Amino acid sequence: MTEALVAIVTSLGDDELILGHRHAEWTGFAPHIEEDVAFSSIAQDEIGHAAAYYSIASSLTGLTRDALALGRSQGEYRHAVLCERPNSDWAYTITRQWLYDRADSLRLTALEDSAHDALRHLATKIRREERYHLIHADMWMERIAHGPIEGRTKLTRAATTALSATAGLFEPFEREADAIGEGWLTVPSEELGRRFLSEAVDALDGLGLPAEVTPDGWRAEFVASSSGDLIATAPSDPGETSTPAGLGGRSGRHSPDFSELWADMTRTYRADPEATW
Amino acid sequence: MVTQATADVVWAALETVADPEIPAVSVVDMGMILSVAVGDEKAQVIVLPTFTGCPAIGVIEQDVRSAVSAVEGVEEVEIRMSFDPPWTSGRITPEGRRKLKDFGLAPPTGEGPVLVTEIGLPSEAICPFCGSKDTTNQSLFGPTPCRAIYHCSSCKNPFEQFKAV
Repeated sequence: MTEALVAIVTSLGDDELILGHRHAEWTGFAPHIEEDVAFSSIAQDEIGHAAAYYSIASSLTGLTRDALALGRSQGEYRHAVLCERPNSDWAYTITRQWLYDRADSLRLTALEDSAHDALRHLATKIRREERYHLIHADMWMERIAHGPIEGRTKLTRAATTALSATAGLFEPFEREADAIGEGWLTVPSEELGRRFLSEAVDALDGLGLPAEVTPDGWRAEFVASSSGDLIATAPSDPGETSTPAGLGGRSGRHSPDFSELWADMTRTYRADPEATW
Repeated sequence: MVTQATADVVWAALETVADPEIPAVSVVDMGMILSVAVGDEKAQVIVLPTFTGCPAIGVIEQDVRSAVSAVEGVEEVEIRMSFDPPWTSGRITPEGRRKLKDFGLAPPTGEGPVLVTEIGLPSEAICPFCGSKDTTNQSLFGPTPCRAIYHCSSCKNPFEQFKAV
């Protein structure tokens, strides 16, 4: 049974760590100083949340938090492929943050009903902190969505690519049925995914970006407006190399993007895993 | 004759432990100490971290440990970090709020936020230097995850607002 719990906290911790690492890549490079500070802070939050999830995993496996964060091989990471994608342009960075934090908020809300005390307490605390991430993402989505056509076009392209990869956040955890049976999870991941999708599509519509989704639900086609202020984008998915919809992360299947990130992120740790910091 | 430590003495020791990032306030002012239990030369302190990802957590634990260890009659110290209940800015004491303001950091106001959906920047941020409400938010994030940056149109000073959470 413990394996099911380890799978959950490892997956959640890995999502936060890997996206936190991508956010941290904006440190020193964001378009202006406030955003440099914002993404550095959001990265610090996410990596801190990862550390807290790894603490639970550590108590179950006996591995240290550092060993969990930095001492595993690539195939042992369980984050969604969405989190490992390069930052690309600003529109993609913002769209991904917006989608991720909405998805995260939904699953944290569900975890507040978990029968597992440590997980429930942690989720309750993290969800409160994450409010500021949502405010940040909403502010930027509105700014770009109501701005000039170039930005809106980039936003729809980013949403087309990122939305399909968001499906990876709702892939079932390993041994999820066991976790549901124990009450550690109260809502199956796929059910949460359906709720997320319908909320996200409504929110995009509210931003003036009406999307039609494909039957599987995870591909968006943005509809060109008659006034010509939005260019239609068909679902094209050149970036999704791991699998068509960015799935596989929960079972350790990652894209070449992760190889690069992993090599960078773990370099210092691998140089001397026994070092004391 | 062995001196018996009491919870009151441990609380007094904790009042000397400064928040590493805001040295003007103690961990007690910040409402980070959930409970203190003393018995059989052993002290147990439950600490509520302010922000999960706060890099000062390790330092706080160390400082709490050394302050409590120094209390006469305490031979063993157990410190537990807990998220139950979650720390909220409503836990900052009135004394803590006054010290934050004197430090130049606008304290969160009121008892809240109670509900998650109430969490956000204040509708009215009050400049800690001149008391004006004629202020504008410049950045949602600041030098630490718990602060936002504002500008005061009255005294023209930038200031930091402690975020409600």
